[in-house]
Amino acid sequence: MDVRRPGRRAYINMKKTVFLLTAFFFYFFLSISTASAQVQVRIRVILASNEGQSIDPSLSDVHKELGSLFNFTSYRLLRDEPMKLVPNRTVTVQGRRPGRFMEVTLVGLHRDNAQIKIRVIREGVDILNTQIRLSPGRTVLIGGPRYGEGVVIFAVSSHF
Amino acid sequence: MKDSCSSVSMILEKYFDREVTEAERSLVESHVRDCSTCRDTLASMEELRTLMKTPVEEAVRKEDFPWVWEKIERGVRLQERRTRWPSLRSWLDVTPLLRKKVWIPAAATFVVLLFITAQIIFKQTPSSKGASVVEYLESPAYNVMVYQLEEPEVTVIWMFEGPEEEHTST
Repeated sequence: MDVRRPGRRAYINMKKTVFLLTAFFFYFFLSISTASAQVQVRIRVILASNEGQSIDPSLSDVHKELGSLFNFTSYRLLRDEPMKLVPNRTVTVQGRRPGRFMEVTLVGLHRDNAQIKIRVIREGVDILNTQIRLSPGRTVLIGGPRYGEGVVIFAVSSHF
Repeated sequence: MKDSCSSVSMILEKYFDREVTEAERSLVESHVRDCSTCRDTLASMEELRTLMKTPVEEAVRKEDFPWVWEKIERGVRLQERRTRWPSLRSWLDVTPLLRKKVWIPAAATFVVLLFITAQIIFKQTPSSKGASVVEYLESPAYNVMVYQLEEPEVTVIWMFEGPEEEHTST
């Protein structure tokens, strides 16, 4: 019986293939893992008031929620801030008035939700400090502070 | 004595070079004690060795042979360069990877690994049915109410301003 043993060249080729394949695979795995460790969060600052009847077209996805929850006749988008959150890195959203801003920090990422810490600060004082578990596609509405003739509502939604 | 002398003289040189057996060594040593001829032969061998050894040792001591080491190092470097380059060239050569025999199993392995990895990675993709939960909440300036509606599924955190703040905040 003729048994052929692989030669040195074949051995080197095999080693090379395995090495390149492993390197490529690890690169691929690492890039996907890094990408999956971040959350896309969208914060929309909405001015809700009873002045007029207009509803901002860019609020069409939350219009139903807003309409069923509040008695305001007008919803105007003041700011739309899409952001990518990485764990433990705080992102600041500046308010329209000086000294007012919001800090958003991703504190944990799980299979079906992201733990997000939100601080609303006005003139150096925390007016709200909360931590929410936000599921993808869901929206949390934070509202109440007066702004002009209406109130400000923060619509926080995430995608990951 | 004569016989013994002739037989010992045959192994005397071996004895001098310490190549004899234990029996031969005791034979030579007992013979040399009584035979002045053999003793003289042994002494002259020792003398000859000393004469040859001393100048050679002295020359070696004086000379540290730097050129020898240089030559050896150069040889080693050349050898390394020669062995590294073909190995590097073989690694850079991708033609063997294009062979059917190589890329088909490689692609198959990659697909399997990808499938396994995708199971782990995309398992993290959640269903859109999860609810949002308020874990903690504090607001020193406002009365806060949290409510959650089932339909549409939405969580609301509402801050109610006190009567005195309503005037100052606007």
